Amino acid sequence: MSGAGDRVWLNMVVNGRPVQVSVRPDARLIDVLRDDLGLTGTKEGCSRGECGACTVLLDGEAVNSCLVLALKAEGREVLTIEGLARDGQLHPLQEAFLRHGAVQCGYCTPGMILAAKALLDRHPHPTREEIRRGLSGNLCRCTGYKKIVDAVEEVARGGVRP
Amino acid sequence: MSATVVGQSVPRLAGRDLVTGRAVYTADMRWPGMLYARTKRSDYAHALIKRIEVEEAARLPGVAAVLTAEDIPGENSMGIIIMDHQLLARERVRYRGENLALVVGDKEVLDEALELIRVEYEPLPVVLDPLEALAEGAPRIHERGNLTWECHLVKGDVEAAFARCDVVVEGTYRTGFQEHAYLEPEAVVAVPEAGGRVTIYCGCQTPFHIRSIVARALGVPFTSVRVVQATTGGSFGGKDEVDAEMGALAALAALRTGRPVMINHTREEAVMGASVRHAAIIRHRTGATRDGRILARDVDVVLDGGAYSSLSPFVAVKALAHSAGPYDVPNVRARVRVAYTNKTYAGACRGFGVPQVTFAAERQMDELARELGMDRMELRLKNAVRVGSSTAFGQVLRAGVGLEETIRQAAAVAGWKERRAGTGSGGRVRRGIGMACMMQGVSNGAEGVDAVGAFCQLAPDGSVLVGCGLADMGQGANTVFAQIASQILGVPLERVRVRAVDTDHTPDSGPTVASRATTMGGRAVAMAAEKARDKVVEMAASMLEVAPADLDLRDGMVVVKDAPDRAVPLAQVVNALYWTGQPINFEAWSKAPDARFDEQTHQGDIYVEFGYGTHVMEVEVDTETGKVTILRHVAAHDVGKAINRQAVEGQIEGGSLMGIGLGLLEEIKYDERGNLLNPNFTDYLVPTSADAPDTEPVIVEDPGAWGPFGAKGVGEFPVSAAAAALANAVSDALGVPVRQLPVSPEYVLDLLSSQGQEPRA
Repeated sequence: MSGAGDRVWLNMVVNGRPVQVSVRPDARLIDVLRDDLGLTGTKEGCSRGECGACTVLLDGEAVNSCLVLALKAEGREVLTIEGLARDGQLHPLQEAFLRHGAVQCGYCTPGMILAAKALLDRHPHPTREEIRRGLSGNLCRCTGYKKIVDAVEEVARGGVRP
Repeated sequence: MSATVVGQSVPRLAGRDLVTGRAVYTADMRWPGMLYARTKRSDYAHALIKRIEVEEAARLPGVAAVLTAEDIPGENSMGIIIMDHQLLARERVRYRGENLALVVGDKEVLDEALELIRVEYEPLPVVLDPLEALAEGAPRIHERGNLTWECHLVKGDVEAAFARCDVVVEGTYRTGFQEHAYLEPEAVVAVPEAGGRVTIYCGCQTPFHIRSIVARALGVPFTSVRVVQATTGGSFGGKDEVDAEMGALAALAALRTGRPVMINHTREEAVMGASVRHAAIIRHRTGATRDGRILARDVDVVLDGGAYSSLSPFVAVKALAHSAGPYDVPNVRARVRVAYTNKTYAGACRGFGVPQVTFAAERQMDELARELGMDRMELRLKNAVRVGSSTAFGQVLRAGVGLEETIRQAAAVAGWKERRAGTGSGGRVRRGIGMACMMQGVSNGAEGVDAVGAFCQLAPDGSVLVGCGLADMGQGANTVFAQIASQILGVPLERVRVRAVDTDHTPDSGPTVASRATTMGGRAVAMAAEKARDKVVEMAASMLEVAPADLDLRDGMVVVKDAPDRAVPLAQVVNALYWTGQPINFEAWSKAPDARFDEQTHQGDIYVEFGYGTHVMEVEVDTETGKVTILRHVAAHDVGKAINRQAVEGQIEGGSLMGIGLGLLEEIKYDERGNLLNPNFTDYLVPTSADAPDTEPVIVEDPGAWGPFGAKGVGEFPVSAAAAALANAVSDALGVPVRQLPVSPEYVLDLLSSQGQEPRA
């Protein structure tokens, strides 16, 4: 079903809620999230899928939303950083990142946390090496990654109440 | 005082906003009626502009305006010392990507509009090699020639000293251009305000400089412009002039259209259209006696400064001052020249010239140690600065010189003595270990006055608001300021807030650079908090009928020391001050002693404080692929006092990785026409989590005399030592001297194939 002009309707579930948006066929998922839905927690860092700042979960899989056509999300579930905390309660990854000092400027943080969640959802007990490899699609220029890896490792060990 | 918040690891203030995606960075802002703008950039690295045609672009539906140099009512210029850079080029472009025109309108039509702008160029010869640029007869990039800046340092008599040396080593070292690569590309929003004012929102570290450039471009009083620092996604020295450029263009567009205007850079624009770290060619000669005492160092540096002067004059002087490394060398001669070339301009980048000269100085230490048959750590210990030592610029270090301690601790943690034998052996994969030391001045030094303003506002409920003219760009300065105020006023950290830098509200304290935020900014915050404390104590003393000296501030209470059940809540005291008409907002101004030095020899007192560090790195080099793997990395830094331990570790870990990037992976590349070849992360290799070692930070605290609680700063310092330690480790592994950065696989293979043809060092 098409919308006004050359736009089409996009139906998806974002952070647990069904949404319907009128989008151009060439719209990127990142633009729909940030501009149409006002979810600016997802960041744009390179527009080439290299930095991972735009990472969101699409049916649980980490994707670079700057490379995903919005229409590819038709009928699917999208999780952005705004959808992670529940009823004001931070997700264990969010808590751990803060406690370990894994957040400096914060720009990579939304994408990094979601990438970590996707990693742990797939591999609940990764080694430190596996965490590093699993997050290697998300660049961070501030932290040197060590405290990020510490935080993810702690959550994986179940050190934080889920 | 009981449990102190200063010295603890404290999570980042307002961190919750960052992990939930609620934090608003500039490009997240949405203003009613906001338009977007983007610039037309030059296709040539060096050319005259014969004509710019914008009429067709201006007619495109959705375009509100197209601006060229003609539309700038005030000064079409920017720069720091030499205003040689135009906001929009009029007659000539000097690097590929230089701005020519600004298209303003709906976001969707900008790219199409840019395509419709026609520019007629007359190409000029392109100058890319800084040595060629400085040579006689080179095509002139600027009217004054191709020498951007030159400075000299003379201490003692190097030639006489070399004559007395038993051993002299010499080498030429090269480093490449590094990009800041902050994750957040630059963005600004200009919002027209009442009374002809305009507000610029941007992630930045030099809001007052931005204000001046914008105001000059608009031809309005400085106070017509307000710059508000937005949540900043990293800066590392980069979000300075480019923000001024973007701010001025956005402001022009905003005042022309009457609407808010946003300019946000693509990653390519962030690399190509904003400053980079200077590439360097360094000739370094070191002479020592047989027992390892360095008597003389002679250093000649050429920095490739790109097309415009930017911060080159200051980078040159800082490189000059630090060219002899962290050693007590009685005779030093140094010269730094910066050359113009037709490339993206070089400016401030974390380290500011010190990483480049430290790499050369530390490679020389290893090469000297080899000639002397001396252990590389022993040689460093023998010459390291200590209390009473004199720097290359003749400043006597009076207190808190923790360099030796960092050498010993880094070596102990890394197991230097056990590991250094058995390196450089044969086989496909070779192991090596390297050490590197650094020192760096904190405070503006030769760049001008260092003064910082801060305020501490007490609220009637006993909560506190802190403001300072220096910026938190992600490094955690605001958290440190809050800890300082919390400690001094005895107010729980949760009840302290820090406001963002805003040129209307926070005092002009100069740029947040030179790793000065904690040391210089923190001192001003402490002074403001002390003023507040004094007033509180005076009032509470009269309320409790004791002497002020009998009182302590803790947990939001004012307590009688010897009778803790006699106490009054801070809130009550603040109320009492307010209702008796006394001020509850306290301002302080912290001015550092001025730098005093001879302009010809650069001898004198330049910096208020210094940071020191030693890194030890173990690597493995695959001699078939040239790949270097870091096995272990220990980074010891004397920070005087770690106010926020976790944040200091974060600076050591993050700064080290930027140094590792400089040393191993990152280099901006140009082709022979001056086209920047790798303006995005596909080909510009920023270290990923898979590349990063598990850096082991070691915090040494040898208190300084100036900073709050003895703090000395750390932000830039790990970059130098990490890059140099890596180079030294690879040299050790291969048994061949590393003479350039990055140590790419190609370079490693070149080194191996040249083995045996060059003298071993």
